[in-house]
Amino acid sequence: MNFFDSSLWDRLHGGSTHLPIALAIASALFDCCACLIKNENLRKGLHSAAFYALLLGTLGTFPAVISGLILTRWDIAGSGATLFHHYFVWPSFALLIALSVWRLIVRTNISRSAFYIYLALMILTAVLVSVAGFWGGEVLLGK
Amino acid sequence: MQRSFRFIAAIGRLFAAVATSAMIVGATLGFAHFMQGRRSPTVANPGKLPAVPAGQPLAAQGAKLFSFNCAHCHSIDATGDEGPDLYGLTKSDTRLKAIILGGIKGEMPSFGKKLKDGDVQALVAFLRTLKG
Repeated sequence: MNFFDSSLWDRLHGGSTHLPIALAIASALFDCCACLIKNENLRKGLHSAAFYALLLGTLGTFPAVISGLILTRWDIAGSGATLFHHYFVWPSFALLIALSVWRLIVRTNISRSAFYIYLALMILTAVLVSVAGFWGGEVLLGK
Repeated sequence: MQRSFRFIAAIGRLFAAVATSAMIVGATLGFAHFMQGRRSPTVANPGKLPAVPAGQPLAAQGAKLFSFNCAHCHSIDATGDEGPDLYGLTKSDTRLKAIILGGIKGEMPSFGKKLKDGDVQALVAFLRTLKG
């Protein structure tokens, strides 16, 4: 195995990106479901699952971002499909960190209006990270 | 009074979240910029086709093909222009051949119809002479 062979980073990046994408979507979905459910215990459980999914997803972005930067040889923009990929990667990376930190600080002490603003931003983040994943797939596998 | 205190606390929490995010993303982008600056190649003859070491006829053929097919995007000295810098490529030969033949959607045209298998091998041999 050659540490500097980009096929290694291709695989590492491809593998590591799926975790934060899946967990960001799951976090948004858990919180959305919690809004619709009246059972108090189930609602708390879903909010808790959303919280941990968000934290793990955000932690998962670091290996994804670092392996991606090594793969592009530290180019933060690029051109064509890579540029489109980066247009979505950087905002979603920033949003994931900001939302995680905010939620870590407030925990369950959230007003209703603040939670809905948070949820809107979380859904936006899930969409952005999914589109980033789509363009990432186009870079590696697109014809 | 209590209401305004809660409002200030909420703004403080929001500020902490945004500031942490800005610091981490800023540090990541700054580090990437620093690393990219460190790895810029120092070419022997800027603005000229890189010299191929003696005794590598396949690479010399590749250099000629490069100047006709690739130089207008990757620049004649292969340090990159519209397309990326080609010094110190770490992709495998198979991957390089696949990229040359198939192109990259939205980034690089396909040369599958223009270049034969021998031409692609020569191009890859030339690219291997470009050390970062």
